[in-house]
Amino acid sequence: MLGYIRNRLFSLIIVLIGVTMLSFIFSNISSVDPAEALARRSMLSPTPKQIEEIRKEMGLNLPIYQQYLNWLWGALRGELGISLLTRNPVAADLAEKLPATFLIVGLASLWIIIITVPLSILSALKKGSFFDHTLRMITIFGISIPNFWLGFILLVAFAIMLPFFKVVDYGNFKSLILPSFTIAIPMAASSIRLLRATILANMNKDFVIYAKARGISNSRIIWQHILKNSLPPMITVFCQYLGYMIAGSAIVETVFSWPGIGSHLVNAIIGRDLPTINGCVLVIAVLFVFFNLLADLVNSMINPKMLNEKGEF
Amino acid sequence: MLKKVFKSKQAVAGLLIILIVVFIAIFAPWLAPNQPEEINPAKKFTGASLEYPLGTDQLGRCIFSRLIYGARYSLGIAVPVLLVLAVISLLIGTIPPYLGGRFDQLFVVVSDIFMSFPPLLVVLSLVGALGQGILNIMIAVVFSMWVWFAKVVRSYVLLERKQGYIMAAKIAGCSDLKIITRHIIPNILPALLVYFSTGIAGMILMISGFSFLGLGITAGVPEWGAMLSSGKAYLYSHPLLLVYPGLFILFTATGFNLFGEALRDIISPEEV
Repeated sequence: MLGYIRNRLFSLIIVLIGVTMLSFIFSNISSVDPAEALARRSMLSPTPKQIEEIRKEMGLNLPIYQQYLNWLWGALRGELGISLLTRNPVAADLAEKLPATFLIVGLASLWIIIITVPLSILSALKKGSFFDHTLRMITIFGISIPNFWLGFILLVAFAIMLPFFKVVDYGNFKSLILPSFTIAIPMAASSIRLLRATILANMNKDFVIYAKARGISNSRIIWQHILKNSLPPMITVFCQYLGYMIAGSAIVETVFSWPGIGSHLVNAIIGRDLPTINGCVLVIAVLFVFFNLLADLVNSMINPKMLNEKGEF
Repeated sequence: MLKKVFKSKQAVAGLLIILIVVFIAIFAPWLAPNQPEEINPAKKFTGASLEYPLGTDQLGRCIFSRLIYGARYSLGIAVPVLLVLAVISLLIGTIPPYLGGRFDQLFVVVSDIFMSFPPLLVVLSLVGALGQGILNIMIAVVFSMWVWFAKVVRSYVLLERKQGYIMAAKIAGCSDLKIITRHIIPNILPALLVYFSTGIAGMILMISGFSFLGLGITAGVPEWGAMLSSGKAYLYSHPLLLVYPGLFILFTATGFNLFGEALRDIISPEEV
């Protein structure tokens, strides 16, 4: 177990180095010269000499690996540069925006669990029934629906036609409901399909037949045996969804004018604010890596037997 | 196989939807009653009429004609991207696991790094770096998705490689290239078709999402996501401007998902 965690942390470091390299490369293939961009923002018509000075000041005249190391060293200390749009430190902006995104993603995760678990158990139990077929059709719609459109439909229905909510609202629990639902529905649709398939695959396993032979009731078999064994793939996927939802918040936050990291990133892209783009990408990627690690650790704790002799899944 | 496809109601329904959308995209100039980009300031926000079946938008453009031409953009972007992805993933997914050794390990490390970015994030950051434009969006989507496609192909290849008939082909003196092209690829193709079909649905959603954000496609273009984006200013007064393009996206994506899912049930019935 400890060996597993050690291996996992080691591979985590390699992946993190790769992630920082890639996000650094992404920001450097841009056709925009960041020194010139900054010069044009602060001066009306910068001379080539002034641009050169800014380039030196920003360290952009150094060789590329040196720039990467400087940037990495800064990132490790939490310094991600100064935003070209807001003129605040990028890290400070991110610290301000992240909690708003965590709030909707957190509530969305709750919806996903509440919707997924009972519906997929029911549909696996009543396989082939009318309920099962209807749910299947609904989930196909769920994965086909564009979530920005879903957000607008919810806004039109529940904020304009039936004014339960405000169109632009931020700061209270009520304002969280529509955005979190919009994020949750497509995710819930695909997790219902996955959990149903996993439960069905487990129902034919030997341990279920054995439990039945021991006279254990059907509902107890499902709750105690099948669900426990169906959890690992769900936990892996769910933690991946957490990362997807944070990245996907870009779209939903734009619909609901929600001041989170996603809409911050979109504004930075439209305004070509490279330091902010960089910072957002790095933070979201690190969160994604972290959630994947979390999934593996939780799984290895629930079901240590699933590790093979090398300590891997 | 084909017989089973035509027997499944779901597959036929999905196929029908796909064919309708393809038909609309190809024959758009004959189906659309008006020019999609023709502006008529005198006729803003008119209701449905014979001349404008679904009314006009904020610039007096025919909504129905714009929706029809939108099919060209959705399919015209998603299908080429998918073809490129299919070729890349077939090359990268089959060759490294077949050669094995260092080459394969390198692929695993690189794919682990790429898979630690959510695809949407890769596209966002690449568009941020490359700048906007349809071609840049397409490049960005290929760049973000190739690893997921290659991983799926790879997992099928790894399964298939252990089958007895591959060993038999080897003993019979088949070259590696021939085993990959003549034996492995034809055998995993149905499973890949499922992935590609649902993949197109995902891509249509992703691309319309980007043009909704105002990234990639310029505002005047009759693309469904871009139409939604320009319609959001009229959320209170003309919510129908938002409803129509979304319905078209939903319709198209549902078609590909229905077909892909039905195909999956036919290929691997034990997972139903």
